[in-house]
Amino acid sequence: MSEPTTEHFWHHRHVLDVDVLSAADIGLVMKTTDAMKEILARPITKVPALRGRNVTIIFYEASTRTRVSFEVAAKNLSADVVNIAASASSVSKGESLVDTIRTIEALGAHMIVMRHGTSGAPYLAAEVFSGSVLNGGDGWHAHPTQALLDLYTMRAHLGDLRGKKVVILGDVLHSRVARSNVWTLTAMGADLWICGPTPILRGFDTWAAHWANGRGPVGHDGFTVTSDMDAALKDADVVMALRLQRERMDAGILPSLREYAARFGLTRERLTAARPDALVMHPGPMNEGVEIAADVAVLDRSVITEQVSNGVAVRMALLYLLAGVHGDDAEGSIGG
Amino acid sequence: MAEAVRGGTAGDAGASAPRVGEVVELLEISRAWLVDPVAGREGPGEIVVRDGLLEAVTWLEGAEAEGIAPDGVVVAPGFVDLHVHLREPGNEDAETVASGLAAAAHGGFTTVCAMANTTPAADEPGVFARVRGAAAASGSPVELLLHGAVTVGRGGERLAALGELADAGAVGFSDDGSSVKSPLILRNVLLYAGMLGVPVVEHAEDAVMTTGAEANEGYVASVLGLKGWPVAAEVMAVERAIAVLATVLPDAPGARLHLTHLSTAGALDAVRRAKAAGLPVTCDVTPHHLGLTDEWVAGARRWAWEALGDDGAARDPWADGALVAHPYSTACRVNPPLRGAEDAAAVLAALRDGTADAVATDHAPHTQVDKEAEFGLAANGISGLETALGVLLAAVGARQLTLGRAVEALTTGPSRVLGDRGGHIGARGLTEGAAADLVVFDAGAAWTVTADALASRGANTPLLGRELPGRVLLTIAAGRLAYRDPEA
Repeated sequence: MSEPTTEHFWHHRHVLDVDVLSAADIGLVMKTTDAMKEILARPITKVPALRGRNVTIIFYEASTRTRVSFEVAAKNLSADVVNIAASASSVSKGESLVDTIRTIEALGAHMIVMRHGTSGAPYLAAEVFSGSVLNGGDGWHAHPTQALLDLYTMRAHLGDLRGKKVVILGDVLHSRVARSNVWTLTAMGADLWICGPTPILRGFDTWAAHWANGRGPVGHDGFTVTSDMDAALKDADVVMALRLQRERMDAGILPSLREYAARFGLTRERLTAARPDALVMHPGPMNEGVEIAADVAVLDRSVITEQVSNGVAVRMALLYLLAGVHGDDAEGSIGG
Repeated sequence: MAEAVRGGTAGDAGASAPRVGEVVELLEISRAWLVDPVAGREGPGEIVVRDGLLEAVTWLEGAEAEGIAPDGVVVAPGFVDLHVHLREPGNEDAETVASGLAAAAHGGFTTVCAMANTTPAADEPGVFARVRGAAAASGSPVELLLHGAVTVGRGGERLAALGELADAGAVGFSDDGSSVKSPLILRNVLLYAGMLGVPVVEHAEDAVMTTGAEANEGYVASVLGLKGWPVAAEVMAVERAIAVLATVLPDAPGARLHLTHLSTAGALDAVRRAKAAGLPVTCDVTPHHLGLTDEWVAGARRWAWEALGDDGAARDPWADGALVAHPYSTACRVNPPLRGAEDAAAVLAALRDGTADAVATDHAPHTQVDKEAEFGLAANGISGLETALGVLLAAVGARQLTLGRAVEALTTGPSRVLGDRGGHIGARGLTEGAAADLVVFDAGAAWTVTADALASRGANTPLLGRELPGRVLLTIAAGRLAYRDPEA
């Protein structure tokens, strides 16, 4: 990627998706994450950047790792953190998302971190909230902090990703992680491959076809969708496996976990097709023995736990950048 | 008001200004562009309305016709909408019969056909009586025709009081909102309604395929992570209905099938083939399915014909800078969903070639509460009565459609679908001596769609904030004033 040559300022009031982030924006997140990593390396990992700021974390979906990661990130920056475990049942009780967000605002929140099962929900929150909304994952749509921590982790090992072959393996259809990674990785010029059984690639082939022939975002360098594991893994620099949910079998989309593991599981043997130093990644939580073999997950080149620790730094960086944007600096638009 | 229009309006000498509902005593429109789809004629002309009757229609020629063009004041027969939801009884916070008829008049419609999915559903004549009472009380001269439900409570199991509904004037039977659930029930209703001479109006959607669906299956839904709404769900339902129709015709030669709000090339092809085979099938398409596309869900706001690349494939709004609004606007959530640009082009093509008999709005007003929700949880529907003309005129302006065909699709087309059940105006021409039933609009005057500008209680349209061509100046229904532009 092209690092910002002159000083680049953050101007997004919200982080709802990564599709609106320029290469310079992403570079700034990476640089800020470097600074946060330094803080995390200190004996005392707390800085006063967000002192007096209220960060409300509201998760409409069960999640431990992401919620805790945000909480740790916010607390490291000395924010006051409010945690709300919302359930989808509050919807059926008639409390609308809009009501909830207005209530959170009235209770003094400056920033909202939101996880929601419905694609696009953070956009609705951002429309009614006067502060900043940081998307902690919405439906199948986007998981910006995950994509940015994935990117940070890849760059830490590979440097510039231009031309590097990155393979995302598995259930992309239902994956917000995959969608956000498509944007960040293509923006960085990676050679992106997506691989899995056809029923859970659905739509991505159309997406890739749309971006072929000179279409698509400026700078992207290849976006290939295939069910051919061997072709996908050949000489790969990064292999990222995605969790396969058991409900895909219940819904009649795939035959069985056994069959999936046999055909698309990331094993040591399959991994030999990739470059010898290829990174192994997984956004977690893993189904060991299904999409990834247990002995692959613990290889030296597996950076799965590093992803988790980088996650805290990336989330600190985004909270910090968002906290610096207010008043006239902010782009008013939701997309901004 | 445009200079061409004299009399019958406030401030004009020589005639008292009628109020909505009153007979138009005298109205002269000189130097306008007349469109008479019955006579198959359009051109410069003048009309005189006296005591509610269309007294004179004069076609101008030569020097007299000079300077009169179809992009100025246009006079056309009153529009007919085969498919509206007026929400009364049961959801009066979204729309009432009165507000819906006011919206119709503002859109140039003088006849609307209300769907049966009220609460309770119009599955027996008592509901008709209540709706008609509300129409009478509204004072609107817009004619309200009624579809009856196919099944009790639209539940898909037991047949509604079809014969009683027909006796009470049902112009069609429909479980709209969803397809008739079982093909056996569809067969039975086609047989019974065929006996009664009433068309079955089918909302074509295979509900199994659209379980949980959020947006048209394709590139946009893939990128936005929205659950795909497959084209096949509509094609299958249309082919199912046509296949069932073909099998009932020997027993019920009067059976007729009308497919509403078709949105896909495949479904329209199926209708094209069925018509070629001589089956009694008709269909309508909506303004939003021909003018808008799924990229509106992503935040694009360009017309469907602008979203199509030179290669005939949909352009990429992420790549070409077309995204100008927030994604996931629930105003864009509708059933069937806004489709891709290729399907929208097929809808327009079907309208041009007559495969689509009519434009119907599927006017579906909703409250703000029902729309101010997560995209996947928001109510389906677009408030469409007041923007239909504007969308069609935009297509005309972009040379996607002729003015004559647009007017046909809003008048004679739906009128033919209704047949002799189509109310008291009949054929929808500019016929001297008949009750005046017409719309006067200025095709060259734009207006901005705002919640305040809409008479409907439903401001749920993705066109909100947009300027549309074709300001309606006057709507006269059955000789009575239905709408008059307050600023004219």
